[in-house]
Amino acid sequence: MKRREFMRNAAGAGLVIGTGLPSLCAELYAFENEGNLSHVEARYYEKLPDREIECQLCPRKCRLGDKERGYCGVRENQGGTYYTLVYGKACTLNDDPIEKKPFFHFLPGTKALSLATAGCNVNCKFCQNWDISQVRPEQVRHFDLPPDKIPGLAREYECPSIAYTYSEPTIFFEYMYDTAVMGRRILEGESPVRSVVVTAGEINPEPLKDLIGVVDAIKIDLKAFNQDFYTRYVRGDLKSVLETIRMVAKSKVWLEIVYLVIPTLNDSMSDIREMAKWVKGEAGDHVPLHFSRFQPMYLIKNLPPTPLETLHAARDTALAEGLHFVYVGNVPGDPGESTYCPGCRQAVIRRTGFEVEAVELKGGKCRFCGTPIPGVWS
Amino acid sequence: MSRSRVVIVKSGRSLGSTDRPDPEAVFRLLRRGFGLLTGEKTGTRAPALIFRLDDRVGIKINTIGGPTISTRPEVSLALARCLSESGLAEKNIIVWDRTNRELRDAGYRLSMSSNGVRVFGTDTDGVGYGSDLVTHLDIGSLFSTIQTNSVTASLSLAILKDHGMAGVTAGMKNYFGAIHNPNKYHDFHCDPFVAQLFDAPPIKSKHRLSILDALVVQYHRGPAFHTQWAERYQGFVFSLDPVAADRVGWALIERFRAAKGLPSLKEEGREPSYLATAEKMGLGRADLGTIDIVEETLP
Repeated sequence: MKRREFMRNAAGAGLVIGTGLPSLCAELYAFENEGNLSHVEARYYEKLPDREIECQLCPRKCRLGDKERGYCGVRENQGGTYYTLVYGKACTLNDDPIEKKPFFHFLPGTKALSLATAGCNVNCKFCQNWDISQVRPEQVRHFDLPPDKIPGLAREYECPSIAYTYSEPTIFFEYMYDTAVMGRRILEGESPVRSVVVTAGEINPEPLKDLIGVVDAIKIDLKAFNQDFYTRYVRGDLKSVLETIRMVAKSKVWLEIVYLVIPTLNDSMSDIREMAKWVKGEAGDHVPLHFSRFQPMYLIKNLPPTPLETLHAARDTALAEGLHFVYVGNVPGDPGESTYCPGCRQAVIRRTGFEVEAVELKGGKCRFCGTPIPGVWS
Repeated sequence: MSRSRVVIVKSGRSLGSTDRPDPEAVFRLLRRGFGLLTGEKTGTRAPALIFRLDDRVGIKINTIGGPTISTRPEVSLALARCLSESGLAEKNIIVWDRTNRELRDAGYRLSMSSNGVRVFGTDTDGVGYGSDLVTHLDIGSLFSTIQTNSVTASLSLAILKDHGMAGVTAGMKNYFGAIHNPNKYHDFHCDPFVAQLFDAPPIKSKHRLSILDALVVQYHRGPAFHTQWAERYQGFVFSLDPVAADRVGWALIERFRAAKGLPSLKEEGREPSYLATAEKMGLGRADLGTIDIVEETLP
């Protein structure tokens, strides 16, 4: 498919390209398009007697009778066989700076072809993209975009990577996995396209192990460091997320962690200190940790944006615990957006917002003192 | 709070030999149910004691179970006939559910005609879900505009079924089909979500009557249909108290389970705890000791 043709089709389907998510809202909830859902057998589930199934993709392990859908809203038991309804059904597509994900140590200054389907296996009360993550696929306009078309599109848009993001890619695992495999195929005269995943980390070890084999970077949203927060505000399981972080950290896949700091709910410095200690001990002091600023939305509109002092205090706390690369996010122009060499403290990557202003690395090392800076730089 | 009243009406003639409901028998049964519930002698005028004559009444049915275990057209249209007979205009009656596909699968012919009873799903072009998120306690959902805009009064006509997560699915949980994200409310045995959703203004302010379709009751391994655990009860459960209706429905399910030697829902660790929550919230009676049950079997 040529770019012009794709753009025309995408616009007709209400798909968003490079314009951000909010414009999707107007496209929701007013049409019958169930017939357009995919009918591809899901992976990672067990067939049970009486046409029941147990999903084994994520820690929720939904046990479902015939015609029922999982918590994610995009996987359905049809007569005892479990199907994904969103395979090849992207509902948004953008060419984003990779810094927006955020990945700060992975191909800085490049773009990632970023896509999502509807659905999510948690329900964060502060979700930024709830209008696609907390809906069923038939409630949002989507576009047929099969895995084999995506790497070519990424090349056309000059994106060296594909990002599975916005909603929760775990729930469109099959689509993500097959796309990542397609991206790695070496075609004549064309370079492979890498894959990066932006996830809440609520995935079971077996599918995660398979995913690790085909993607290049994973960013995990660690939403708090106590189960009470996960129960009340995420409907998720902290232990599973920590296990995901451990597994990714042990692999060759590049790992970054984001912690969205929400005033009064997860901004306890003692929790943040414990979390930083845990990250250092279980994942390593080289793993980038981003403290992002909360903005009121979805079901939490009664709290203010995170004060800058809180973000700076969180960053200082994590640095004091020995993490080398700690960032402040969603605060354009903050000095905490830049990467500092742990050897000489010089800024080796200077950023403003999603813009990379300067990269002072040579062969993955600090240009000023030669200290290696971990990451995927080329 | 005064005692609640629940009416159970049954007839051995309400299902035909192929388990299709007999429209005339069902109509007579429903009319008798209305009569016993309201005290109106013939039942003919009884719906007008519950609804205003100028109400636009939404009959929220449940068609997720496909042709085998859904609210069937013979039932919902017989109910519409009861309402119409009492003086409500047919054009002001809407039989509805989430999607047109589910309605068609359950045997409905869709109709948007303003001349008679309308039948359509929320996903009909121009209908959809509201664009404003309604937040209420732990609920954050978009509501079907049928419930919020199209109707002034609401009737839950649900199939009575065992439910793997909620314990029982009946009149209250039927309103999960009025929101865009029911899949998010199945944790913790759907408790407190069933009660909280019912308590949300778009539902509570319009709900007038629960009728449980107990023609065929799935008393085990629901909500999917399994013929070996489906009881041909051939009855309906009526109540103005949504909690009491579901409570009596639960008691029926336990009766059928016990008769087959199955453990109770409590023994299986999935009793419908949403009912106690609903009672605490003041939505109705969940204690059988505070519910008057009137039962009648028609020839």
